[in-house]
Parts: sequence; C-alpha cells; structure tokens
Amino acid sequence: MGLLAAAIAVGLAALGAGIGNGLIVSRTVEGIARQPELKGSLQTTMFIGVALVEAVPIIGVVIAFMVMGQ
Amino acid sequence: MSDQQYQTMMKRQRRWTINLLAVFVLGWGFTSYQHIFLGLILGTVFSFYNLWLLQRKINHFGEAVSRQERVKTLGTLSRFAAGALAILIALRYDNHFHLIAVVIGLMTTYVVIMIEFMVSKFETSLRKRGE
Repeated sequence: MGLLAAAIAVGLAALGAGIGNGLIVSRTVEGIARQPELKGSLQTTMFIGVALVEAVPIIGVVIAFMVMGQ
Repeated sequence: MSDQQYQTMMKRQRRWTINLLAVFVLGWGFTSYQHIFLGLILGTVFSFYNLWLLQRKINHFGEAVSRQERVKTLGTLSRFAAGALAILIALRYDNHFHLIAVVIGLMTTYVVIMIEFMVSKFETSLRKRGE
C-alpha cells in the first residue's frame, strides 16, 4: 500500500511539474523568438517560475521516499 | 544589459546559499544540535546542486533558443533524483542526519531565490524612483 501511495505521489507530482514547466517554457520561447534583446529578463522570469513550480514536486518525491522508507 | 541581470542574479543566489551553508557548518561545529545541522548541511548541499543545475540549464536554454536550436531537457528528472538521493542518505544513516532538517535544507535555495527576487525588485523600484 505504501508503494502504491509513493507511486501515485511521484506520478502526480511529475505530471504537475510537466504541465507547469511546459506552460512557462512555451511562453518564454515565444518571447525570446519575438524579442531576442529581452533574453536576459525573460530568462530570469523563467528561472524563478521553473524553480517555484519544481519546489512542490520535489517535496512530493521526498515524501514518497519517506513513505517507502518506513 | 538584460543578460547581465541574469548573471548578477545567478551570482547573488550562489553567494547567499554558500553563506547559509557556512552558517550551518558553524552551527554543526559549535552547538550541541549536531545531527540537526548535519541534516541541514546535507539538504543544502543537494539543494545547491539543484540550483546550479537549474541556472546552467536555463542559461543553455536561452542561448539555444536565441540561436534557434533545439533543447532536449531542462534537467527536471535530475533534480528530482537529487532530492530523492538526499532523503535516501538521510534514511540510511538516520543516526547522523535529522530527516526533517534534510527536507528543510532541500528547500533552502527556494527561499533564497524568493528573497533574492524580492530584494532585487525592491532595489529596482528604488533606483527608478531616484531617476
């Protein structure tokens, strides 16, 4: 049962991270393609977005491993 | 000019994370909460690796998009694996590392990123008001 819970947690976390990162990356690519001179500020915004999107799934993976380890 | 903004942000985030790591090492050396600080150090080291990887990957991503090339990955799986590895080490050597401290340590760079972002926004608004 713990294994199933861990698998669901990691799977849903990866799904959420994938959708979130996909949205951020697609808009950044559009922005850089339109205005290459704004690359630095778009990269900065993308960096913060990706970092905040990935914080929660990493916690999900950590909790999954904690459930599996006990 | 704007590319310099990203480089400055990268340097500041790395500097603040290393400073925090130094504080944790001092806490490990000079206080009696050794296994909590050891957990924080372990978590922060892996978190620093995640930060470095994210900065590097996004830098490569920006360069590749401006040259109209393809990018295969952003390294999300590597960062998940680094978090999992930190927890596995903490579970394997649980008499040395405090588990919750490792989790808090893993989140250190995200706190650093948010605080750095707020400080740089504040500095920019002050500079604009002064002009």
